[in-house]
Amino acid sequence: MRAILNFLIKHNHWFLFILLEGISFVLIVCFNNFHKATFFTSANSVVGNIYSAVSDIEGYFNLKDENSTLTKHNQELLNEIESLKGKLMEYEDSASLANNECIIEHNNDYRYTVARVVNNSTNNVNNFLTIDKGIAQGIDAKMGVFNEKGVIGVTYTSSDNFTVVMPLLNSKSAISCKVKNSTFCTLRWDGSDIRYSYLIDLPRYEIFENGDTVTTNGYSSIFPSDIPVGTIDKLEDSADGQSYRARVRLFVDFSDINKVYIVGSTKKAEQDQLEESIKKK
Amino acid sequence: MRNFVLLLLAQVLVFSQIHLFGYATAVIFTIFLLKLPRHTTKNELMVWGFLFGIITDMFCNTPGIHSAAATAMAFFRNPILSAFTHKGLPEDFIPGVKSMKWGGYIVYAAICISIFYALLFTLELFAIRYLATLIISTIGSTLLTMLFIVVAEFFTPKK
Repeated sequence: MRAILNFLIKHNHWFLFILLEGISFVLIVCFNNFHKATFFTSANSVVGNIYSAVSDIEGYFNLKDENSTLTKHNQELLNEIESLKGKLMEYEDSASLANNECIIEHNNDYRYTVARVVNNSTNNVNNFLTIDKGIAQGIDAKMGVFNEKGVIGVTYTSSDNFTVVMPLLNSKSAISCKVKNSTFCTLRWDGSDIRYSYLIDLPRYEIFENGDTVTTNGYSSIFPSDIPVGTIDKLEDSADGQSYRARVRLFVDFSDINKVYIVGSTKKAEQDQLEESIKKK
Repeated sequence: MRNFVLLLLAQVLVFSQIHLFGYATAVIFTIFLLKLPRHTTKNELMVWGFLFGIITDMFCNTPGIHSAAATAMAFFRNPILSAFTHKGLPEDFIPGVKSMKWGGYIVYAAICISIFYALLFTLELFAIRYLATLIISTIGSTLLTMLFIVVAEFFTPKK
């Protein structure tokens, strides 16, 4: 008995070593499999607040660029208002002529939220970014994230006020897309160049050309359809030769993201429940 | 304690954000582990390493990866340090150029740091097909961190 105790005391550093490494490995495995390890990520409120303070300071350095983008955007919006005014006048004329009631269809299927990116990485195989909106603002896991240029990614895990987003630049990310409104396929990243991602399993019976636009297909209830992703840049045979693999030049510049929009389907729960009920049978 | 907080803030807000050529990232909190006195126990070293690692992980969204690598490096630090300790040294000393001379300190630091990075990138990439990236990243990051360790030696206040 004494010998065993002595042995344990003498080698106590081994047990501490195994304990600490054990905790680390549990964290590694958990974070890859579950969405519950929020505490150990930048969605943790202390970390999130530090990042958001730093990003406030950094924000001042980009004011000049931001201003010019906003001015440009304003100009475009003003132009649009003008053209819409013109059209409205036309329609009012024709409507009063025909004496018909004008029916405006409201699209209430999706709800949009604006958020600021407080942390962003692009240099790992599995990148993540953190945004400053969370459960309190109605953000949850599995919601689409995009900006004015195109698709950015899908929300991964949320705390009260912060959310970690899995961008296209993550080897575990898979976004369902369509090409030319007809072909449906999956977008995956190979972990190398942040400007390009890959469409896998493109069917051979379709004809694709470089420059074809890739957009979201709206099947998964994460994204509405027709949010731009990128353009086909290079076509090649897949490894097994059964289908095409296309390199896609992404519209979004991931090294420069500031404001993003989060889109949530108001009917997502209903759709998921329905689809889930089929799987159970 | 003050050093701990300052090093951590510098690590997560500055150094972890810089990826030189996409391969090399300096993890400067390892300096803290290297500079702890000779007689620091293994347990104490590992707790420091784990704390540094886990907090860096929280900021980098890599739960467990930095902490696993730092704990392992802390575990192997004392045996490696013993190999470079010669008889002229006092019983308990702070590892550094002053006590160990350039050659001894650099080699000691380089071995510890490369153990850290080899583990870090193995855990991060976790696939044999990234072997080339793993080797380049390990060597690149080790060299970059060694640069900061050498610079830090010049700025250590002389007593």
